[in-house]
Amino acid sequence: MGLLDVLPWRRERKVVSAAKDELFDDEFQRKLEYLSLVSRRVFAGRLRAERRTKKSGSGVEFADHRAYQPGDDFRYLDWNVYQRFERLLVRLYEEEEDLAIYLVLDTSASMGFGGGRKLRYGKKVAAALAYVGLANLDRVSVVTTSDRVMDRMPETRGKARIFKVFRFLREAEAEGTTDLGDALKTFVAQAQKKGRGLVVLVSDLYDPRGFEKGINVLRYNKFDPFVVHVVDPGDARPKVHGDVLVYDCETGDEREVTVTAKVLDRFADAYSHYLADVERFCATHQVPYVPASIEVPFDDLILRVFRRGGFLR
Amino acid sequence: MIFAGLPLAQLIAIFGAVGFGVLVLYVLKLRRRVVAVPFSPLWERILRDKEATSLFSRLKRLLSLLLQLALLALLVVALGDPRAAESLIKGRTVVVLLDASASMQATDVAPSRVAVAKDEVKKIVRGLGGADRMLVAQMDAMVTPLGPLSGDASALERELDSVRATDARADFPRALRFATDVLRGVDQGEIIVVSDGALGPASDASGPVHLGSARLTYVRVGKEAHNAGITQFSVRRYPLDKSRYEVMLEVSNTGPDVEDVELQLLGDGALVDLTKLRLQPGERLPRFYPQLSGASRTLEAKISRVDGTRDELPADDRAYALLPARRRAKVLVVTEGDTYLEAALLLDEYLDVTDVAPKAYPQAIAKGDWDAVIFDRVTPAELPKAHALYLDPRGPGAPVKVEGELKNPGFDKVDRKHPTVRFLGLDAVNIAAGHKLVPESGDKVVGASDGGASPILVAGVRSGYKFVALGFDVTASDLPLRVAWPLFVLDCINWFTDEDAEYLSSFRTGDVWRIPVGSAVAQATMKRPDGSTVSVPVHEGRAVLLGVDAGFYELTAGQETTSFAANLLDASESAISPQEHLAVDGREAGALAGFHLGVRREIWIYLLLAAALLTAIEWATYHRRLTV
Repeated sequence: MGLLDVLPWRRERKVVSAAKDELFDDEFQRKLEYLSLVSRRVFAGRLRAERRTKKSGSGVEFADHRAYQPGDDFRYLDWNVYQRFERLLVRLYEEEEDLAIYLVLDTSASMGFGGGRKLRYGKKVAAALAYVGLANLDRVSVVTTSDRVMDRMPETRGKARIFKVFRFLREAEAEGTTDLGDALKTFVAQAQKKGRGLVVLVSDLYDPRGFEKGINVLRYNKFDPFVVHVVDPGDARPKVHGDVLVYDCETGDEREVTVTAKVLDRFADAYSHYLADVERFCATHQVPYVPASIEVPFDDLILRVFRRGGFLR
Repeated sequence: MIFAGLPLAQLIAIFGAVGFGVLVLYVLKLRRRVVAVPFSPLWERILRDKEATSLFSRLKRLLSLLLQLALLALLVVALGDPRAAESLIKGRTVVVLLDASASMQATDVAPSRVAVAKDEVKKIVRGLGGADRMLVAQMDAMVTPLGPLSGDASALERELDSVRATDARADFPRALRFATDVLRGVDQGEIIVVSDGALGPASDASGPVHLGSARLTYVRVGKEAHNAGITQFSVRRYPLDKSRYEVMLEVSNTGPDVEDVELQLLGDGALVDLTKLRLQPGERLPRFYPQLSGASRTLEAKISRVDGTRDELPADDRAYALLPARRRAKVLVVTEGDTYLEAALLLDEYLDVTDVAPKAYPQAIAKGDWDAVIFDRVTPAELPKAHALYLDPRGPGAPVKVEGELKNPGFDKVDRKHPTVRFLGLDAVNIAAGHKLVPESGDKVVGASDGGASPILVAGVRSGYKFVALGFDVTASDLPLRVAWPLFVLDCINWFTDEDAEYLSSFRTGDVWRIPVGSAVAQATMKRPDGSTVSVPVHEGRAVLLGVDAGFYELTAGQETTSFAANLLDASESAISPQEHLAVDGREAGALAGFHLGVRREIWIYLLLAAALLTAIEWATYHRRLTV
């Protein structure tokens, strides 16, 4: 941030100019179409609304085992396996359903930090995934959150509704603090089909109360969380030096720091540890996780999401 | 400790004001630049370690403040120019007598004794206390202060650069008297003699030197040394055969070992004689060379070791002499005819003698440029403009008044030092009759009768011309029959022409030289052995100067140029073995004490250096984030 950026009229001008940028232009839409085709090719032969979700639900066709996690229904424990191997495994059954996809976009102030690049990137990713979902005749809903649910686009179906998604996302602005726990609790309460559906969380996960809370809320309420972690590499190496007063753009917490090269190195270490913590958490809890660097083109990222699995089955 | 600069009260005020400013700056934190970050918990994570050392951080800030205050204190104290109180109160006044005599040219210590002595003095200068003052004087044939009493170490060291050893002996008593004069009335007076100790007794014609309350310190320079030198050298022409000359010299070995030397005698640069000598330790060997011929002007003696090595004092290995100039003297004899006189004048082949009758005298005297005129029983009407010998003068034209007749006078009293009668036996001369001469003021009575009451031989100067008047007719005595007669006549002519037998073949360095000059000038120009020229004052017909360098000199006064030689020829200077002890006025000189080398007296310099060091530390710690 430049020195003059502290002036209120300059700050305002920047916001306005950012709003005027065309997020979802023709080029963007062409890419969406391409991504949709790719998704179809990968999953050719599947019928509409024939997606199967691995849930320990009431289906009849055994699909797989997975390790018991706190919160799972004891009724689905495979006691035979426990007798033989002394391991708690839960039986999974395949169940046919039409999938609800919830795209939860973090619009807290930290997503707007650094010129709003993360938010713009997040919007593009959300729009792309929404398009792919809509194209696959899934029910798609988009929600923006900060410390609460900021706005909500009701579930919709069909490719033609993508412009509604665009409009919705275009109006979203970065503001407020991050509290994924509270926000997602509200989201869960408002969900039409509780415990059903894929929730794609697009966020920088800068949650002072812990990123785990939000993801756990989804897990405990039997949603399938999918984490797209928006990462700005510039955050790892802030361009500050000397005696400064750092303040949190969301909470306003202040802290005096003398920034030296050594301090910056330690900060970079802390940042990479933070990313590693997130990834470790998701891996441990079998939550699909895709780090999304804003320097990677969004369509590459979407392909990576496809490859990662969990979004398209 | 006292402050020579700003007073203490002012220093405290400055420290208080500026120190308060520093404190205020430390108390008031500078406003930090505000920077927004997206997620402060990440910063919290790295600052957690720092918080654990917050006490240390505060201490570091305190350390930084103390560093600044210490820096300020150093600068403020430096402004006060602090000095040790005792150094100001008990300042010493030091006179350093730096020996620059010939023996200090010895090379037994590299590069030479005088160079080592200068280094010693420099060490003393660097060890001077804050209130000490010093005067350095060069001690050779005279005493030359190199500058005023000063405490400025750099100025004192600069003064020493001009010091060089001369070819003269040291006049120690004079130097001591100079030093005691400087220190008269001074409480903390000290005389430091930097020398090899070959200084002789500390007494002169005025008696022994008394040092008073001054402390005497002796700094010895040099070590045991080998030296052989020429300590005497003299040459003269034979009075009756000026083509021949004789040489007397003395060679001394002042070292502890036997020396085999080669003695060369050079006449006008050509070898005249070569002798090999073996000198025992301490031996002084005189050599006499009679009936030498071949040299017309310059004569030089030099010794060298047979093995080709050089001894430690080259200054006394050479000696120089100039033979009296040989020129034909024009003599006018005014006489009616005197066989004895003519016979006497025939003995010297370098005389051009012209005999004239008294009547022809006026034309003859007006015609020529005569070196001497002899009036044989004739007296001119007025004094001639030439040196003159009057034999039995009469009348008003005589240079002295002639009074009553003396019967059977004799040379009862003779001034045997006078050049006209030196070495002559006149006591037994029988004289039938003569006249008493009445000398004028300034005239010299050379011979007198009647127990000294009646002068019969008088010498003096009239209108710048010398005269000798003999108060009797030599034909009325048996003087012409004696050997003394021709010698007397020739001595008189030699005296007139400055060719007397007492001609000095060379001067000794360290003496005041009085060199006769013919022209009536006030200044003469002297060319020294090293080729440089110097102006010399002329007093009563003689150029006067104190000579300190050996070699051949040329003195030009008006149109006239004379040459002379100067030699060291001093056995005490040739004895270059340094003396262990020095005693003056019954007191043994002490060793050097109280001069601490390498310590600057100006404390403020050290304070500024410390301040610079602290600044460097502060800079380094700040940039390494140790004190922030």
